[in-house]
Amino acid sequence: MNTLSTYLIIAALLFGLGLLGVLQRRNLIGMLISIELMLNGANINFMAFNRFLAPEPAVGQIITLFVMGLAAAEAAIGLSIILALFRKFRSINVERAQQMRG
Amino acid sequence: MMKWVLFIPELYYVLMAVVFFALSLQRKSEPRRLYTWAVILSGVGVLVAVLSARLEGMVFFDAYRVDLYSQVFKLLLALGTFWVVLTCSELEGIDSRQHAEFYLFTFICTLGMMMLVSAVELLTIYISVELSSYCLYLLVAMRRKTDEFAETGIKYFMVGSTASGFMVFGISYLFGMTHTTYVAELMKVLPGMMTEPAAIVGLVLALSGFFFKQALFPFHIWAPDVYQGAANQVTTYIATASKMAAAAIVIRFVGFSGGESAVFIKLLVVLSILSMTFGNLVAIIQKDIKRLLAYSSIAHAGYMMIGILSMTQRGYASAIYYALAYLIMNFACFMVILKIADDGHNLKIKELAGLHKRSPLLAMTLMLGLFGLAGIPPTVGFTGKFLVFAAALEQGYLTLVIIGMINATISLYYYLIVIKAAYLLEPVNPYPPVRVDKWTKSLAIFLVIAMVYVGIFPDQFVALTEAAARSLFI
Repeated sequence: MNTLSTYLIIAALLFGLGLLGVLQRRNLIGMLISIELMLNGANINFMAFNRFLAPEPAVGQIITLFVMGLAAAEAAIGLSIILALFRKFRSINVERAQQMRG
Repeated sequence: MMKWVLFIPELYYVLMAVVFFALSLQRKSEPRRLYTWAVILSGVGVLVAVLSARLEGMVFFDAYRVDLYSQVFKLLLALGTFWVVLTCSELEGIDSRQHAEFYLFTFICTLGMMMLVSAVELLTIYISVELSSYCLYLLVAMRRKTDEFAETGIKYFMVGSTASGFMVFGISYLFGMTHTTYVAELMKVLPGMMTEPAAIVGLVLALSGFFFKQALFPFHIWAPDVYQGAANQVTTYIATASKMAAAAIVIRFVGFSGGESAVFIKLLVVLSILSMTFGNLVAIIQKDIKRLLAYSSIAHAGYMMIGILSMTQRGYASAIYYALAYLIMNFACFMVILKIADDGHNLKIKELAGLHKRSPLLAMTLMLGLFGLAGIPPTVGFTGKFLVFAAALEQGYLTLVIIGMINATISLYYYLIVIKAAYLLEPVNPYPPVRVDKWTKSLAIFLVIAMVYVGIFPDQFVALTEAAARSLFI
């Protein structure tokens, strides 16, 4: 079980689920969480490649730390925009916030 | 020479960001003074970029390369930022309390994109992309009285973060395949691996993050809404400066494959065709001029891709020249829009009626800019398209070039609708006169001269872009 492909499959699944969530969810917070899932899928990839293929310089682990940090910043910006939207529409449902077409 | 000298343009933009951060803390905001400072500082920024154009070297443990390629793009970025700031004299689209923050985010975004064009290490590239994207998310969401366009910010954010998720996932595969994050080593190892699906998938996923910034076909969904919903100045910034950085990084990433994979090239050809055709066909029915230019930008991403996918030095050089041309002519169109809609509303095409009487200079700038976008000689847009198509023909992409030509003809139709509105239609109710100050006037004259001069005498510019493309491979 403890092989590279196990981790790669888990990562791909996480990424796929995240993408599905972004496309399917109608709740902005849910979409934000799905995006985090996609990033975490990439993180597992980095860790697995680091562990099994290129262990010497811990580049994969460093990248994972950076991605986590940037994901936190991204969530902060996303939440602030969602909050501004909520003040206007009193809702965090995307369908309520759709006016532009074409 | 000290090594930090290489980093001077970026340091300068950090300094500018710090200045405007301090100014944003002031309780009372004085838009006029902020504008003056921003113009002076970003003007000096262009000067700094010009002076550092000939620097070469590596910094930060070889993660950051300063060469002619990066310096040319830094100059284009600095120029684009300066022009955008220069048109901010009436920044009506944004609450006057937030003007300092507007400049702050603009300069940090430029900083991020300057780092992006120099970065030659995957983690550095990722961080620079995110730095510039985060600023743009906030800038787009900043528009005043946004009831009508409130969802623009969140749409841009969601599409953008999804694209960056794709990018990180793709980069993780590239790292797994090659065990390195340095571009120089990637370029040695990756062409030999292009037969393996994982390498192609990784490269395409990583590229999709940049296609998003460039608004190439499957990642274009945000463009029309964001162009329409963001404040006019922010739209101008996204349409000019941010496209330069996207072009630079796409050229670098496509170069990774070394032209070894037929599947990869076919994919790019398909994306380019779809992008051109879709953008041009949908642009025909638009009424809002910013939306029209958004679809035209999707089409132009396709044209630029024709040069890039030739994967020769000449192809990359033609794409760089096209980026320069696109910066000038697109900015010319946007400057006219900004000046006519100086109260910050969204301009409809019919509001251009009678522009040739209200302001002949602006009407001429708009006409030359649109002729350039359509690719009519003797403007810079024609030379750009010519070089791109010639580079693709050299590699035998005859069908692609023919489709590109047909698309250029289609695009002429909707550009001419706009020109007709400006020159031949008379307004039903007279519109208020356009205020044109002397800065705008001189900028308009400069743009007109630049569009014609660079188009008729492209030799030295082509030589410059070819030298820049050469430095990409050393």
